[in-house]
Amino acid sequence: MIKVEHLYKRYHIRKVSDWVLKDINLTIPTNVSVGLIGGNGAGKSTLLRLIGEMDTPDKGKVTRDCRVSWPIGLRGGFQPHLSGRQNVKFVARIHGLEATLDEVIENVQDFAEIGNYFDEPLRTYSAGMRARLAFGLSLAFNFDVYLSDEATSVGDRHFKQKAQKAFKDRIGKSSIIIVSHAEAILKELCQAGIYLYKGEAYWFDDVNKAIAAYHDES
Amino acid sequence: MTSLSKLTMSTRTPWQITKSVWWALYVRETLQRTMSDRLGWFWLFFQPILIILVIVIIRFYAMQRVRTIDGADFIPWIIVGLIAFQVFRETMLRSMGAIDANRQLFSYRQVKPIDPVFIRCFVEGNLNSFIFLLFILSSLLMEFSLIPHNPAGALLVWISLWLMGVGCGLILSVSTVIFPETKKIVPVSMMPLFLLSGVIFPINFVPPQLIEYLLYNPVLHGIEIIRSLFFESYNPVKGVSYIYFYNWVFGVLVLGLILQLRYEKRMKVL
Repeated sequence: MIKVEHLYKRYHIRKVSDWVLKDINLTIPTNVSVGLIGGNGAGKSTLLRLIGEMDTPDKGKVTRDCRVSWPIGLRGGFQPHLSGRQNVKFVARIHGLEATLDEVIENVQDFAEIGNYFDEPLRTYSAGMRARLAFGLSLAFNFDVYLSDEATSVGDRHFKQKAQKAFKDRIGKSSIIIVSHAEAILKELCQAGIYLYKGEAYWFDDVNKAIAAYHDES
Repeated sequence: MTSLSKLTMSTRTPWQITKSVWWALYVRETLQRTMSDRLGWFWLFFQPILIILVIVIIRFYAMQRVRTIDGADFIPWIIVGLIAFQVFRETMLRSMGAIDANRQLFSYRQVKPIDPVFIRCFVEGNLNSFIFLLFILSSLLMEFSLIPHNPAGALLVWISLWLMGVGCGLILSVSTVIFPETKKIVPVSMMPLFLLSGVIFPINFVPPQLIEYLLYNPVLHGIEIIRSLFFESYNPVKGVSYIYFYNWVFGVLVLGLILQLRYEKRMKVL
């Protein structure tokens, strides 16, 4: 279960900055996959990062009693000058999997299917290859909740199917909190939805209703 | 995917997490430093050695007048000064950039901004100690000696100079996030500091009324102290004090740690 209480967040970019998130209160049960929906700049990624404890809220708190992944996204998380293999090793190490390093590498390599690029520096990767690696890497760990920030959106058809299948296999064991504009993916993977609008969050038990609320806005 | 169930993660204590983060960062830092260039591992050691040799040679032939040091041979005297300054400077400058360079890794909540700073300090300390040892060992083959007459004291002051670099690195790595100008100003100010710390010119050549002001510089104290522990009959500049030096070492360490705690959240923002 992930509990979000009285959460406020803003970024100090200009002198006067509005709240990106304003008094968010949510309880996300484990085993329920949730889609985060909203326009650009509505605060979807920010909320996801706060849930993943990658960023700290200005007020309020997030409490969790389950293992939550880092936000799997298109940006960040990899060192561009090191190879895919070295990056995978690094992440496995910080998660305390030094002993099973070879197994992790094998799993990621199998899933990502990027061939020889696995031993090339990350800066040579295409966006799709990065996404494959990032996604495969996160699946190598047994998280209860996966956080995904558009991670599958740049993959090709084959990869999307594979990623969705991997997640469907895990339903019951793991859930996902996903930020995406691809409504088909949301409908397929998620049961519930959170619709973000003007700094506030609205919870819907049915993801279709959250999508409908988003459509009503635009 | 095979045997996923084996890869379960247990709940770890904060210290266990920190240990594995440090180990992972250490491996990564070493890989990055040795693999980014051709023959990276060679240049890693050879570049600082080359810098020292070039300065020694230039200084030996130019300005021959200022070459006699009371109580010490000139070449060992300048090598000790150069490498003592170098462990301080390199630790400070490398760790100053640690947070900026490792920003990508803060996606993983296990990694705190202070971790890459510590790791770079550790790597830099090891590297320079190794280079110093190389110099000491190779001096045995030559006509001058680099064996400290008080080895324990010299080791302690060597570590303290490194710790002062660590403290300054902790402070400056926060500063680069809040005032990005730090990255430009600090490297520029290294040259004056180098000259004012008596690394290549003995400070005794400065008029006495100026020395009073030069003695505000703690690096000068550290370098003069370590020289006096290497060369038995060497007289450090009058006014050099252990207490002043150690006040600075502890001062910058404590201030650095406080700043790291105070600005942790701000540094994690991508």
